[in-house]
Amino acid sequence: MSQTRRDFLRQTGCLALGAGALAAGLKDFGLVNALAQSTTDYRALVCVFLNGGNDGNNTIVPTDDRYALYTSARAGAGLALPAAGQPGGLLQLTNASYGLHPALPELQALYNQGRVAVLCNTGPLVEPLTKASYQSGAGQKPAQLFSHSDQVAQWQSAVSDDASATGWGGRIADQAATLNGSATFPQLVSVAGINLFVTGQNTRPLGIADARTSLAQVLPLSLTGTTSEQTIRRAAFDNIRALAPRTLPRAAADVTDSALRTSAVLASADATLTIDFPNTTLGFQLEQIARLVKLRNTLGMKRQIFFCQLGGFDTHSAQQVTTNAGQGALLVQVSQAVKAFYDEMVAQGVSDKVTTFTLSDFGRTLQPAGTGAGVVGSDHAWGNHHFVVGGAVRGGFYGTYPTLQMGGPDDTDSGSNPRGRWIPTTSVEQYAATLALWYGLAQSDLTQVFPFITRFSAANLGFLL
Amino acid sequence: MTANRVSRKARRGPWRAACALALACAAAAVTSAQTRPPVVLTDAASTRAVALDALTRLRDPFTLTTNSFVAGADTRTRVMFFVMNLDLLAGEGASALACDAEDSAHRFYKFKVEDVRPVPGFGGLQQVIVRLSDDLGDAGDLLVRLSLHGVAGSRVRISVGHTGGTLADDPGAQPQPAPPTPPAPTPTPAVNPYTGTPTDADAVRLLEQATWGPNPAEVARVKSLGIKAWLDDQFNQPASGYPNMPLMPTDPAQGCPTTAPATCQRDNYSIYPLQVRFFQNALYAPDQLRQRTAWALHQIFVVSGREINFPAWMTYYVQTLDRDAFGSYRTLLGDITLNPAMGEYLNMRGNTRVNPNENYAREIMQLFSVGLDELNTDGTPRLDSAGRRIPTYTQDTITNFARVFTGWNLGPAKNFTNASGVTFQVPNYQDPMIVTRETNHDTGTKTLLNGLVLPANQTAQADLNAALDNLANHQNTGPFIGKQLIQHLVTSNPSPAYVARVARVFNNDCDALYPDGCANQRGNLKAVVRAVLLDPEARGDLKTDPSYGKLREPVQHLTNVLRAVGATAFNNPAQPSDGVLGNRSRSGDLPGSLDEPIFLPETVFSYYSPLYQVPGTDLAGPAFQILSTSTALKRANITNGLIYAGIPTNGDTPAGTSLNFAALDQLAANPPVLVETLNVLLLHGAATDAMKAQVLGVLNSINDTDQATRFRKRSQAAVYLYMTSPQYQVQR
Repeated sequence: MSQTRRDFLRQTGCLALGAGALAAGLKDFGLVNALAQSTTDYRALVCVFLNGGNDGNNTIVPTDDRYALYTSARAGAGLALPAAGQPGGLLQLTNASYGLHPALPELQALYNQGRVAVLCNTGPLVEPLTKASYQSGAGQKPAQLFSHSDQVAQWQSAVSDDASATGWGGRIADQAATLNGSATFPQLVSVAGINLFVTGQNTRPLGIADARTSLAQVLPLSLTGTTSEQTIRRAAFDNIRALAPRTLPRAAADVTDSALRTSAVLASADATLTIDFPNTTLGFQLEQIARLVKLRNTLGMKRQIFFCQLGGFDTHSAQQVTTNAGQGALLVQVSQAVKAFYDEMVAQGVSDKVTTFTLSDFGRTLQPAGTGAGVVGSDHAWGNHHFVVGGAVRGGFYGTYPTLQMGGPDDTDSGSNPRGRWIPTTSVEQYAATLALWYGLAQSDLTQVFPFITRFSAANLGFLL
Repeated sequence: MTANRVSRKARRGPWRAACALALACAAAAVTSAQTRPPVVLTDAASTRAVALDALTRLRDPFTLTTNSFVAGADTRTRVMFFVMNLDLLAGEGASALACDAEDSAHRFYKFKVEDVRPVPGFGGLQQVIVRLSDDLGDAGDLLVRLSLHGVAGSRVRISVGHTGGTLADDPGAQPQPAPPTPPAPTPTPAVNPYTGTPTDADAVRLLEQATWGPNPAEVARVKSLGIKAWLDDQFNQPASGYPNMPLMPTDPAQGCPTTAPATCQRDNYSIYPLQVRFFQNALYAPDQLRQRTAWALHQIFVVSGREINFPAWMTYYVQTLDRDAFGSYRTLLGDITLNPAMGEYLNMRGNTRVNPNENYAREIMQLFSVGLDELNTDGTPRLDSAGRRIPTYTQDTITNFARVFTGWNLGPAKNFTNASGVTFQVPNYQDPMIVTRETNHDTGTKTLLNGLVLPANQTAQADLNAALDNLANHQNTGPFIGKQLIQHLVTSNPSPAYVARVARVFNNDCDALYPDGCANQRGNLKAVVRAVLLDPEARGDLKTDPSYGKLREPVQHLTNVLRAVGATAFNNPAQPSDGVLGNRSRSGDLPGSLDEPIFLPETVFSYYSPLYQVPGTDLAGPAFQILSTSTALKRANITNGLIYAGIPTNGDTPAGTSLNFAALDQLAANPPVLVETLNVLLLHGAATDAMKAQVLGVLNSINDTDQATRFRKRSQAAVYLYMTSPQYQVQR
C-alpha cells in the first residue's frame, strides 16, 4: 500500500519536469480527452466548500416511511425538521422520496428542472468498507476520522491514508495545464484564500478578493511618488526580486511575480454581469467567479477551477431547525447564491459548461448533541450528502442513502453508544473523478490524480452528461 | 555597524586558504561563535566531489539503485562524501545535517543524511552517507550541498545516471581537494554561554526571533547586556498584557443603553480594544519576548474572537497565555482547559456524561499536546514495520477523554451595572470553570494514553488532573510543542537534531546541551524558549542553508516595519502611535487584509497550518499558506502606505500612526551609508552587493533640490525596497 503511494508521488513529481515535457507527455500518451482541444470548448468546476461539516442528515431527508426513523432519532432533542407540507417543513423533490431543508427553495426548483444531482453518503475512503470490515479492522480506515483538519484535507486532497501536499483540484489542473495553451492567467482561482484543494504540484493558484473589489482593483501594486520615481523604484523592486536566492526567498518572490503578471491582465478587463447576486459572504464570492467566467475568452482560458467557501457549519450546538439562524441561515445563503450563479451562467450561455458542486469536512452524527431548541446540535461524523448543480448535470439521486438508525447497518458503531456516523458507500475519489472526467481528463489519467481510484467499482458515477 | 560586514567577509574569505594549515583551522572552531561551513572534498582541479557509492565503493555516475547483499533491503543508492570542518556538537549525528541537490532543470531534491562518522585513522575527516531521494531520475550532473546548523558549504558536483548536463558551477566555486597533510580531528565545539558581546548581525537576528522587530536602541541593549543576560531580563519582565474588562450582558442593548457613550459598542462588543492593545504592546512595551511567545501559544491553543465575540471573554483567555508563557506547560494546559472562553469555544463548558461532546477531547490531543502521530524525540514520526505513521490515539481514546471533560461549567454569575444604572447578572467568563454538579461527571473508568486507566468513581477534578498529567507527560508533547515554538520563532524546517535538543529541555533531560534545561520541572517553558533561541541552529551571523528561515507572518511584518523605523502619532513625532492598524472592517484592517486578523483566526487550526508545504517544494512554510497572489501585493502596498502616508486620525483612530524617518534622514546625505545601515538593521548584513547596488541606484536618482525633501525621499525609498524584498520577507 505504501509502495503504491510512493509510486503515485513519484509520478506526480515527474510531471514537474518543465511545461514542454509535460505538453509532449500529454499529447503522446493521450492523457487528455481529444474533445477538449476544440476551440469553442470551455469547462469550469466551481467548488463550494461548506466549512465546519454540514449536517447532511438535516439537508436531504427521506420523506417516505423512512421519515419515521429520522424523527425517532432527532425529534426528542428538537433537531428534526417538520415533515414536508408542514409549516417550515421539508421541501419535497419531484419524482423523489426526499425533501430538502426548508432553507433551500432555489435548489429545490433547480432539482425539479433536472439541474441538480444529489450524491448520497460520500466520504473519504482508502478502500471500500463494510460495517464488518470497518469494525474488525480488516479494512483500512482513513487516517484520523472525525477530525476537522484531517477530514478537510482528505476531502480536498482525495488522499485518505496519509498527509498530501497537493489537492485534487490542483492535480487536475496539473494534468490539464496544456489545455489553456499559452494563457498566463492561473487555471486555479480561490476567492476564499489559498488551501489544499487549489494547490497542485506545479500549478500555482490565484487568490483574490470577492466581488466587493472590482477585478481591475483586485491586484494593484501601489507606489507613491512621481511617475518617474515610480518607474525607477518599480524597476529596482523587480530587479531585487530577481536576485532572491533559493529556496524560501525564491518561493516568496515567485508569488509576487505571479501576482504582477495576473494584475496586468485584469487591469483592463470589463466584466459586467446580468444577474444581481445576493450581498452575502457566498454571494460576493460566486459573483467574483462569475466575472472571471465572463472574461474567459479575454483571458484565453479553456479550463478553470474555482474555489469558494462558507464557514460556520460546525454546529455542535445551536444548529436550529429554522431558516433564520444556525444551519438554516447558512443554507439560505448557499441556495440563493448558487441559484444566482446558475442564472448568470445561463445568461452567459455557459450553464452546460460550468458545474458547481459542494464539499464539506464531514457529515454529522444522526444522534443529536445536547437537547432543546437553541442548544441542540450534532457532532463530527463521516459520510455526507452533496449537491452537483449545472446544465451538464443528469438530475437525480446517486449513491446509496444510509439507513437512519443509530447502530444500524451504516453506523460505524454498535453496542452501548452508537451515534449514527455513516460509513461512506461512495468515495471522495469517485465523486472527484467523475468531475475530472467531465473536465477533460482521460480515463487513463485518473490514477495520476486519484491514487486509489481503481479500488472502487466505478470511476464515473454518471451524474454528468 | 559596518564593521560587522567586514569581519564576516574576513571569516569567509581567507578562511579557505587558512584551512591548508589544518591546525589553525581546527583551533578557530573552539572560539568561534558560529558554526563553520562544511567542506566537502573534491577532485584537485574541479568541483566534482570525491564521492563513492557506499556499497560498491565506485565513483560516479551513480546508479539510482544498488543491489544490497541483504535480501529485502532498500536498494536506493547511498553516496558517501568526505567532509572537513564539520562542527558537530556533542551527541550530534546525521540528523543534524541537511543535504540538498539541484539538477540541470533547476529542480531541487532533498537527500536524507543517514550516517556520519570519522574516517578511521583520519579524525579530521568525516564520512557522510546520503540516500538519493525517491523523486530523482537519470538526472546527470547535480550540485550537492551539505548544511549544518543552517550554515551551508560550497556546492559540489556528482552525477547520477550519466555524467554531463548544462549545470554550471556556482559563481566563485573552487575545488576543495584534500589537504596534503591530513587535518587534525575537529574538536567538539564548546557550548557558547552567550555571556560575551554579540556581533551586530547576531543581535539583530536575535531580535527578529525574540521580539516584534529590531530597532537601533534594542540592538544596543543586546550588545551591552550580552544575549544570555538580555534573555534573562526579558524573562523577568512583567506582562504588559491586557487589562481586566467588565463582563457585559450578552445583549448589547442591555450593556450599551442609549445613555452609554457612543464608543460603548466598539469597546465592549468588538475585538477592537484587544487588537489596539496588541499593537500598543508590540510597538512600545518592554516584555517583547513574552509577547512573541504568547502570540505563538495563541496559534497553538487557539480561541477565536469570531465565535467568542465579547472582548472581555477573550481578555481572560489572552491573559492566561501571557501569564503562563514562561511557566510550566502543565500549568498552561490546565489554565487553558478551564478558561471559560476555551470552554465555550471547544464545547467543554456544560459538557455532561449524557452524550459528552468530543470537541475539546479531540483538539486538546491533536493541537495542544500530543499531535496525531507518534513522534521520536527529534520530532520525526515513528513508523511501523510497513513504513506507515502510527496514530497517537484512536476514536476510542477521544471518547474516553471526552468523558473526562464532563461536569464543568461557569462559576457564579457576576453583576454588571450599565450606564443607565440598571444592574444585570452576567455569565462569568472571567474565573476558571468549576464543577457545578458532580453528578454531571462521567464516573466510569477511562482508558487514556499509554494505557493509563482512571479508576471509576473519581471526582471530575481528580479525573481532569490525571488526564492533563497524562497528556503533559506523554513522550510526544516535548517534540510536538517544541518544534512549533521553533517554527514560530526561528525557522520552518528545523533539523531533527535541533528539535531533539529543545525537546530534551522540555523533558527536563539533565544530559541535554543546555544545563538550564535541567530545572527540575518537566515542560518548563522558560527553559524551552531559551533553548530555542540559544541553539547553534538559531544563533550565528549568517545562515546559508537554502531551506533555513521562516516567512515573516503578516503581523510580524507590520510590527517590524513600524519598530525598525520608529512609530509615532500621525505627523506628530512627540506622541506615540495609538496602535490602531485598522478600521474594524475586514478590508481596512491591515493584518486582516493580509489574512491574519488579530485574535480572529478562521478556525481552531489558526491562521495557517504548521504543516503547510511551500507549493512545488518539500519544505514546510507555514506562513506561506496565507501568502497568496493577492496578499503578496497587499503586503507591498501596505508597506508603501505606512512609509509614504501613515494612518491619519479618524473616529476609531485617535492619534494615528506615522513612521519617524528623522534618524535615517540624517544618513541620507550619504546614500552608501544609508544603504549599509539598513542592511545591518533589516537584513543583519546579509544583503548581496548586487542587491545593495539596486537600492543605491534608486537613492542616487533622487535629486530634489530641497535638501529635506531629497533626504526624506531617499530614506523612504530605501526602507521600501529592503522591506518589500523577498530577501527580507523570509526571516533568516
